[in-house]
Amino acid sequence: MNCVIEGSCIKVFGKAVHALSRIGDELWLDPMVKGLALRSVSSALSAYGGFLFSPLFFQQYSLRSLSEQHRQAIKCKVLMKSVLSLFRCLTSIERSVQECHISITTPTDRVMIQFICRHGITKTHNLSFQESEAVEAMFATHLCPNVLKAPARLLGDMVAHFPVFQEEITLSTTPLKVCLRNYQEGGKGHMKMTCTEMSLHPDEFDHFQIGEDSDITFCLKELRGILSFAASHCLPVSVHFGAAGNPVCFSVKDEVVDATVVLATLNNSESRGPPQPETPAPATPRCADAAVLPVGVCEEHERVLSSQGSPEWIHPLPRISGPTRLCEAEECASTTATPASTKICSLLFKALSSEEEDDEDDGCTARLPVLARYSDEDENDEDYPARSSTVRVEF
Amino acid sequence: MPLSTQSQGEDEQYVLVATLDNARNLSNLLKAISFKDHAIFTVTPNGLKVTVEDCKCVQANAFIQADIFQEFTIKEDLIAFQVNLTVLLDCLNIFGGSIVAGISTALRMCYRGYGYPLTLFLEEGGVVTVCKINTEEPEEPIDFDFCSSNVTNKVILQSESLKEAFSDLDMTSEVLQITMSPNQPYFRLSTFGNSGSAHYDYNKDSDMMELFRCAETQTNRYKMSLLKPSTKALALSCKVSVRTDNRGVLSLQYLVRNDDGHICFVEFFCCPDEEVDEDL
Repeated sequence: MNCVIEGSCIKVFGKAVHALSRIGDELWLDPMVKGLALRSVSSALSAYGGFLFSPLFFQQYSLRSLSEQHRQAIKCKVLMKSVLSLFRCLTSIERSVQECHISITTPTDRVMIQFICRHGITKTHNLSFQESEAVEAMFATHLCPNVLKAPARLLGDMVAHFPVFQEEITLSTTPLKVCLRNYQEGGKGHMKMTCTEMSLHPDEFDHFQIGEDSDITFCLKELRGILSFAASHCLPVSVHFGAAGNPVCFSVKDEVVDATVVLATLNNSESRGPPQPETPAPATPRCADAAVLPVGVCEEHERVLSSQGSPEWIHPLPRISGPTRLCEAEECASTTATPASTKICSLLFKALSSEEEDDEDDGCTARLPVLARYSDEDENDEDYPARSSTVRVEF
Repeated sequence: MPLSTQSQGEDEQYVLVATLDNARNLSNLLKAISFKDHAIFTVTPNGLKVTVEDCKCVQANAFIQADIFQEFTIKEDLIAFQVNLTVLLDCLNIFGGSIVAGISTALRMCYRGYGYPLTLFLEEGGVVTVCKINTEEPEEPIDFDFCSSNVTNKVILQSESLKEAFSDLDMTSEVLQITMSPNQPYFRLSTFGNSGSAHYDYNKDSDMMELFRCAETQTNRYKMSLLKPSTKALALSCKVSVRTDNRGVLSLQYLVRNDDGHICFVEFFCCPDEEVDEDL
């Protein structure tokens, strides 16, 4: 793959990198016929971000690398911080960079990002990459009962009221109003923290459709990136969501860029339940506990290794249409008609061999549906003694 | 001025008396080369040269000509001593480092000769401080034997763009590779860090390039840790000349304009890390 980005589009590209840097530590580069996608997934697998730049965004866009005319475009991932450091100072990029060339070539095993700058200066960066199939969160937005659309500025102004360290916020919606408040673990925090709550009238939104009342809690930090991106382009943000426990999808679209951030939401019973004993907060937000990000792998049916390295399941995506209860894996295996290999219910990426796929149906009965698990498993167990080590999701 | 009330008789004993109305004209330059604790002072009727060295492979020199000083009296042809540069800088900034318009620290630097301390009289707003800093036997500065006739490649750049280049440099790289060539890439700074390699190329026609005189293609690597201190001098300067000789020794010369608009020079010499003949 090789492409050229010109002028002000370089800053747009840089802003996308900034937004994705809020989500994960690795950046996937996925060159496709329909454009170049940049993707990132959080380490707790509770957030996914993807920016698709159509070929029109680029001054030149070609899937073939310059030297190898017949080889398929390489999909890879690079360290987020390496790319972020190149686009860190957007104002100086705007001031001095005239063109940005990006290419992925195998002879050098490097992603080359070259900035042609003013004053006859050229900056070339060769980043080492790891070949990797793309990852993508598959989220059926058309099945979501609730849809909001608002100018980015509105959402940005709303989240601006929360302190930078605020990890999670709760979005409560009824057909009459939209309310945003900060989320605290348990009840103890009430006396120590500033509680912020704001409500908006449906009229404030460009589009307001609330099919069912909902109360969703998700990670704020991961959202700020896409809001900042949308605000800088004065684009509206669409929010698709359902009941607690289901993922929430924020998307921004214009003619040349299609950005999506899918965030896991806390399970309903956790946000409304009795105060849980506080545990030392792990680095990852608690949203990861009940994460139900449906993550699809690219069409070639290859998997990406679970970041936990544990042999976890990838379950088929249950239907989101009604309040069905996901209890037994068999149920979910039978309700889903699509080949289990293509749709994935949990956030976990797993390297599955074909044998394991066959075992999936059998194995389901042996284990409870694992929807998300991360390394602080033991902490979770203490936190929720009433549960097993896995987490249920209610729809 | 309190400093001038010193009796003429006292001055007789000093082999060196140098005064500056604004001590910052000296302290800024010294700060730019203060990567080690000790500095060698070499004073001649032409002016003052302060030398700092590290690992026997890098040397920085700050030159302050006699005409920068309001008074510069020297009774010998050559005076040399060594002082703790950190202590000297602390003394020069004894009234605090804040920059307030119209107020400056006046300096009178006096030296009686071998074995005597370096005496500083500092005055600001009517308050006088006297500092006496012990001097030591001066070490012989390394002679890099860098002469113009052996210079193979030379460029003069505007500091502004080189400052940006240095601030962008990948510090996880152990070396900084400099390529100078009459052909592409003309002038290239390269790093090889944890995430990959990076190259910063200047075209010979760049408007940041004031002079481009490269006779042959040369690629040399220098330890990043040795060159990093030069960024302080770069930050003060408006122009920099980059020269390499036939052995690959690097000479960086920075043109610094002081508060009064006078020009001083700071120079860095650095030995190459290893010979790299082929273009990478």
